[in-house]
Amino acid sequence: MDAVVSTPSLRIALIGVPNCGKTALFNRLTGSRQKVANYPGVTVERREGERAALDGRVLRILDLPGTYSLSPTTLDEAITRDVLLGRVADAPAPELVVCVVDAVHLPIGLRLALEVKRLGLPMVLALNRMDVAAKRGVHIDMARLATELGVPVLPTIAVKRGGADALIEAIQPARWEHHRSIAAPVWQDATAEDAEQTQVDLRGLLAAVGYAAPKESHWVARFDAILLHPVYGLLVLIAVMFVMFQAVFSWAEAPMDWIDGGMAWLGEFTAAHLPEGPLSSLLVNGIIGGAGAVLVFLPQILILFLFILALEDSGYLPRAAYLLDRMMGGVGLSGRAFIPLLSSFACAIPGIMAARTIPSWRDRLTTIMIAPLMTCSARLPVYALLIGALIPAKAVGPFNLQGLVMFVLYVAGIVAALVVAWVMKHFAGVRQYSPLMLELPDYQWPHAGNLLLGLWERVKIFLSRVGGIILALMIVLWFLSSYPAPPEGAIGPAIQYSFAGKLGAMLEYLFAPIGFNWQISIALVPGLAAREVAVGALGTVYSMSAAGDDVAGQLEPVIAATWSLATACSLLAWYVFAPQCLSTLAVVKRETNSWRYPLIMAGYLFALAYVASFITYRVVGSLA
Amino acid sequence: MQTASVLKCELIAFTFAVAKPILRGVTSPDSNSNSPHPLADLRRGEAAVVAGLAEVAGFEDGRGSGAVVLGRLRDLGFVAGAHCEVIAKMWPVGDPMVVRIGGSTFALRRAEAAAVRVMRLVHKPAAHAQLAPRDTSAALA
Repeated sequence: MDAVVSTPSLRIALIGVPNCGKTALFNRLTGSRQKVANYPGVTVERREGERAALDGRVLRILDLPGTYSLSPTTLDEAITRDVLLGRVADAPAPELVVCVVDAVHLPIGLRLALEVKRLGLPMVLALNRMDVAAKRGVHIDMARLATELGVPVLPTIAVKRGGADALIEAIQPARWEHHRSIAAPVWQDATAEDAEQTQVDLRGLLAAVGYAAPKESHWVARFDAILLHPVYGLLVLIAVMFVMFQAVFSWAEAPMDWIDGGMAWLGEFTAAHLPEGPLSSLLVNGIIGGAGAVLVFLPQILILFLFILALEDSGYLPRAAYLLDRMMGGVGLSGRAFIPLLSSFACAIPGIMAARTIPSWRDRLTTIMIAPLMTCSARLPVYALLIGALIPAKAVGPFNLQGLVMFVLYVAGIVAALVVAWVMKHFAGVRQYSPLMLELPDYQWPHAGNLLLGLWERVKIFLSRVGGIILALMIVLWFLSSYPAPPEGAIGPAIQYSFAGKLGAMLEYLFAPIGFNWQISIALVPGLAAREVAVGALGTVYSMSAAGDDVAGQLEPVIAATWSLATACSLLAWYVFAPQCLSTLAVVKRETNSWRYPLIMAGYLFALAYVASFITYRVVGSLA
Repeated sequence: MQTASVLKCELIAFTFAVAKPILRGVTSPDSNSNSPHPLADLRRGEAAVVAGLAEVAGFEDGRGSGAVVLGRLRDLGFVAGAHCEVIAKMWPVGDPMVVRIGGSTFALRRAEAAAVRVMRLVHKPAAHAQLAPRDTSAALA
């Protein structure tokens, strides 16, 4: 007994096929007590959480990446197997495996359970979605399943409060401590005979527990008939995307105004209560102004992510991937790339990370390389500023010219992405075949709790970004553009004499052919680290003393008065392509595990940006 | 105790899987339609029983990806005796297509679906009961 007391916790791993409700069950078990990190050396997401056991000890619960089989085809699946085998550094083999099986789709989950059981680890089986199974006429003899498998079988309903009580009861450390001494699991690659044997066992089990395939309600069939239809399905997809982007712009307006107002008030308040000087300038112009200019996009990012998470939860996204597989295959992409690329419209970083689910390395690399071409939300402030300043709000047919220009910028990014993918396909030589084999899960209503948890994760990531990189950059930029102070009797604006001014003057040589003046050249420098900073930077450069987002409000007339249309269009073209986001490059480095690809990415994007801006500048200049 | 029941059930399933196509072979004079087809050739709404997996062209890469694809198809439930049904096919040639099998639904590319050999199922029991003329059974299939 003493030995047991000295080991305070039980390591539990959740394993299951994708879409079995494993993550929902994990959320149910751990609540918000979870942390997301990476497995050492690889970029597979490691989701870990804790729960207090009834006797006060701690259950450490690990949510393993979903897999159909222990014979892996992707990195995620390989990690799942390796964790079970105790091969992963920092992740000792679990002392108890909870195999989550969707009762509705029993065969596929049970097959994995048979494989896991063969490893010899202590195991319980959570039969999830029991409520849905009952509704759809799936009846499973759980007692029989438990006897046949030789492990406890617990019914769960992950999305219902109290739906995991039976499971919680079964995973108490007191029940499992005597299993601790079990020898490390041994792994042998499954041969074709093993696979056959598993199928034979599986068929026997299914018959024994009385499983019959679920009844398909006829509205699901009708739904699929429309959503998977080559024409109607694509029309629905276009409509969904349209509503999504519409919502990003219209719903976000009000909360963006609140944040705007709040930051402006904070700036004024600070300015009023601090003596004028470097400190006040730093706080108001550098920190509040800079961070505020970025924070204001939080509502848009959240709405975009809300849509993406809801679409994911509802089971629609894989269907969209199916619809687009053929078209995307034409340029050498997999339909699976749709989901990462869609996320990239919010931010390329989660998009690039979502590319992990693409099994083929080459497809994944192509997806990563073109993800920054999807117009991310950080580009919006720049687009909005320039369009507002220089594009007249006149009607063109039923559309607004400003809206049309914004649309063209989005389309330009997508078209460029397709061209780049196509070029990559043709330079890549012999392609490895990469299977689709994508499960289309049951339709379901998105679960509010899971959506909120997912959004909260995004908020945390975004805020830490604002608080970290962006804030630091704003301070550096403020310093560079404030010092050294202009000499006595200087005529030009103060910034011209500062470090930033000198840097800008140097860069102007490089950027003059594409129509950028020295102010833009300076603003591009901090804008390299994070695109959205450029707006705040332009404000600082134009010696604005306004607080918060008034920067943008006051910038517009200045830009309208001093920039030519050709310069503005050239800058817009630059922003469609330029790799102005260090975080993206850092993530690419992490995801590809080499400097090669982020460098190639930066190189090709800069080249594209320069060429596109040059052409735009010359063409618009000769037209105007 | 476990093995016995498993064996018994397996026997039933196996008999069922084998008997179905044989039964059709007896009732239908058209022997061609009873040899296994690639799943890719099925039309939307058609149901079939999987006969097995076969290596096909299209997975070329020289690194055994064909075996990986076949292994994963097997893990997803495309094994002899399993019932499947084509739910949707993309224009123009059904690449990819949506197949329901074992209570789950998967999108497969044409090359993947070509690796699955199936026996068409005729839904109407009448086709089994009476010796249907060839054109009728083709229309039903």
